[in-house]
Amino acid sequence: MSLILTLVTVLLLVAGSAFALMGSIGLIRFPDMFSRMHAASKAGTVGSGLLLLAAGLHSADLSIFARALAGFFFFILTTPVSAHLLARAAHKAGYRLHPSSVADHLRQDSP
Amino acid sequence: MTAFTLNVLFAVIWVAVSGSASVLNLLFGFAVSALSIGLVREQAHGVSYLRRIGRILSLLALFLRELALSAWKVAVLVTRPRLVVRPGIFSFPLTVGRDFEITLLANLITLTPGTLSVDVSEDRRTLYVHAIDCSDIEGARRDIREGFERKIMEAFR
Amino acid sequence: MITEALLLSAGIWLSLALLVLSFLVTVARVIRGPTLGDRVVALDMLVGIAIGFIAVIAIKTGFTLYIDVAIALGLVGFLATVALARFILARGAAGAEGEGAAMRGEDAGERPENRSKMKQERKA
Repeated sequence: MSLILTLVTVLLLVAGSAFALMGSIGLIRFPDMFSRMHAASKAGTVGSGLLLLAAGLHSADLSIFARALAGFFFFILTTPVSAHLLARAAHKAGYRLHPSSVADHLRQDSP
Repeated sequence: MTAFTLNVLFAVIWVAVSGSASVLNLLFGFAVSALSIGLVREQAHGVSYLRRIGRILSLLALFLRELALSAWKVAVLVTRPRLVVRPGIFSFPLTVGRDFEITLLANLITLTPGTLSVDVSEDRRTLYVHAIDCSDIEGARRDIREGFERKIMEAFR
Repeated sequence: MITEALLLSAGIWLSLALLVLSFLVTVARVIRGPTLGDRVVALDMLVGIAIGFIAVIAIKTGFTLYIDVAIALGLVGFLATVALARFILARGAAGAEGEGAAMRGEDAGERPENRSKMKQERKA
């Protein structure tokens, strides 16, 4: 039982930090700010959330695990809000998409 | 929605009465009060509260699956040696109308593979979505309409 | 029992190494920019990585109180990102002008037709 718990914890640890690394590599490789936001808001959230879950699981205490789970859901709920706000503010402030972009309907509808 | 407030209230009362303020006890109180409210409402006017909770849970399950998938997709995309992306912003005509539902839909879209909601038009009819792969706009629209939007309609209408 | 502890410490060290690497890569994006928006996105990501660090340290030391610290940091990071988004919005086109010049220099951020549109906007 304890071995399984350790195995799952280690798996979550490695998966979480690997996702964080993927997110930051995406941050450096994607062409413009909006695409970079994809990497940061998805891989980043999942990464830190998984690490938090690993910490909760390792404690083997239900109340602490519940707290870690609450933190995980908190991150999941706040990240899209901040990403949406940032994207909207950037677009309104005049940031443009990368030339490789194929469409910008928001630009067409509200110039 | 009134049934839900009643449900939360009952759960809090359950915790207060049973005298142990733990998360598990709150969840248990929530389940008990949901069951009782569901029973009463089923008798009163046939709106199945329990089925609605089931639908909300299925929405949550879909969301968690999509989140895992989206993180995976970003990871795969990033580690590809040659990065070929065709990003773009496309408009999505909304069927859901209430602020609460639009917020939920926008949040769900942000955390799904390759899409990020950017803005809502003034008249709340159009949602603007940034996609990392914008080559098939019609397909992306159809995915959202038949996935999340329908689930939200089922859960909250 | 011995293998378990060994496994756990190997996992902790591996994830710490990965986190340090991603921290450095993200810092590189903060330094390179090229626009304010990119830096804000990268700083948001840095907060996420710091939360990951705290969670790993919680496992390493056994102090579960660190989890509360991580949640509090998440809250502060969210508020910081919201405030910076408001700042970008408030700076508006005036800010994008200077940043746009930087974008043309490094990543060639805009198409010619957009640029002329933006000029019209500024006049209006």
